[in-house]
Amino acid sequence: MSDKKSYREDRLKILLTQEQIEEKITAMGKKISADYAGKELILIGVLRGSTYFLVDLTRKMSIPFAIDFISISTYGEQSDSADVVRITKDLDLSITGKHVLIVEDIVDTGLSLGYLLRNLKTRNPAGLKICTLLNVEARRIVEVPVEYRGFDLPNIFVVGYGLDYKERYRNLQFIAEFDRP
Amino acid sequence: MGIITISREFGSGGETVARFVAEKTRFLLVNKDTINEGLTEYGIEEPSGDPEKTVTGEESEQAVREYLEAMHNYIYDLAIRNNLVILGRGGSILFRDYPPALHVRVIARFTDRVQRVMKLYDLNSETAVKLVKEKDHEKRLYYRRVFDVNWNSVREYELVLNTGTMGLEDAADIIVAAYRIHSEPREVRDGPSGPDIENGILTPSAEEEADKFMHPSEEEFAHMLDFYRIRWDYEPRTFLLEWDSEGNVVEAFSPDFYLPDQDLYIELTTQKPKQAWRKNRKIRRMKELYPEVNVRLIDKKGFESLLKKHRIEEDEGEYR
Repeated sequence: MSDKKSYREDRLKILLTQEQIEEKITAMGKKISADYAGKELILIGVLRGSTYFLVDLTRKMSIPFAIDFISISTYGEQSDSADVVRITKDLDLSITGKHVLIVEDIVDTGLSLGYLLRNLKTRNPAGLKICTLLNVEARRIVEVPVEYRGFDLPNIFVVGYGLDYKERYRNLQFIAEFDRP
Repeated sequence: MGIITISREFGSGGETVARFVAEKTRFLLVNKDTINEGLTEYGIEEPSGDPEKTVTGEESEQAVREYLEAMHNYIYDLAIRNNLVILGRGGSILFRDYPPALHVRVIARFTDRVQRVMKLYDLNSETAVKLVKEKDHEKRLYYRRVFDVNWNSVREYELVLNTGTMGLEDAADIIVAAYRIHSEPREVRDGPSGPDIENGILTPSAEEEADKFMHPSEEEFAHMLDFYRIRWDYEPRTFLLEWDSEGNVVEAFSPDFYLPDQDLYIELTTQKPKQAWRKNRKIRRMKELYPEVNVRLIDKKGFESLLKKHRIEEDEGEYR
């Protein structure tokens, strides 16, 4: 498949413009700064989709914080059917007694996030909340409490602003509905 | 949910047997009294004419119908969170489509039953004979009326015990042993975190496991839940949706999965939206009748995006 063919712009329908996204993130950064003022906050980015959002979100924040990243395996990565979800890149920081905010690009089924919550809870943080740019309630299987959400989306497939299709489109400045081949 | 249903002939000692079984298994004993107690909390009273007795008149028909429906829902709800020993009330029919349930019938010869009733209620022979005959008749009517089945048909049961020739506690021991044997394969089936995976001959092979699913998509979904260490049951419960005027079930619905930790039922459909209307209608009806039950339909589009998202395409990287 040539790059040209797989990057066809006509498959993209812009849903959220760069301006809309920035406006929303500014508001979220402000809210989080107010809520966590005076608390020891660790932002945890879930690799890899949330990196763009995490970086821009922190630029809109006015309080001190630490950043760490975590990555977990996803279903289908291994052909072994006996495989189970596990952490592939763990946190470097200890979160015990700290206020933790998980930063996600998108929350849909809640399957992987549910696992992450269960895992992080055992480390006894002082607080454990979720912040996501996009939320697709229609796909939820495991209920996860989302404290901060940017946009609610219907059950569609989107790319851009960190979200990829086969590692492509992450660097788009907007978010678009993607018509999958 | 573990289910043992015990149907008994009047005077067979089935009630005592059920109590023994409940004690030995630590299952919750459900009988007419506990059901009526539970329903009273919801403001539902058993109609003055016991449904086991003949009731006439349209109004009382309606009251009986509503009571039976509430009772059946109540039992199903109890069963979600509890292991139950259900005495009477047509339990074997309510859980007929739930294979792990053990359905037991306790019987005894007529003369043995009369003897027991005489002793138990301090009656003379004539009165006891009359009482036993009356009760047999009532039970037959109840089953006909509520479920349209022949109460005496032994084919409805996995186990039939004659208490005329054995002690009641011995009968209970047999039931408990039979239940263990009968229900074990299901315990094993509960997923990789379930107990007794390597517990000998009762463990089904992977092929047998796969055969249990109606559809490959269900199997794939189950694998995905296993991957995320989410506990699930496959089609554990049947919801009755529609009854005809005689109270026979004409429509029922068994969602594909139940996730106990999420308290959520999931129905998968890979049908196109145009063909999925029947399922949609069933789910709507289920939400009306069982508003306290969480059920979610994952449609073709949702299911495809779920799998595509989580699956490596040939020669290519994964999504996201």
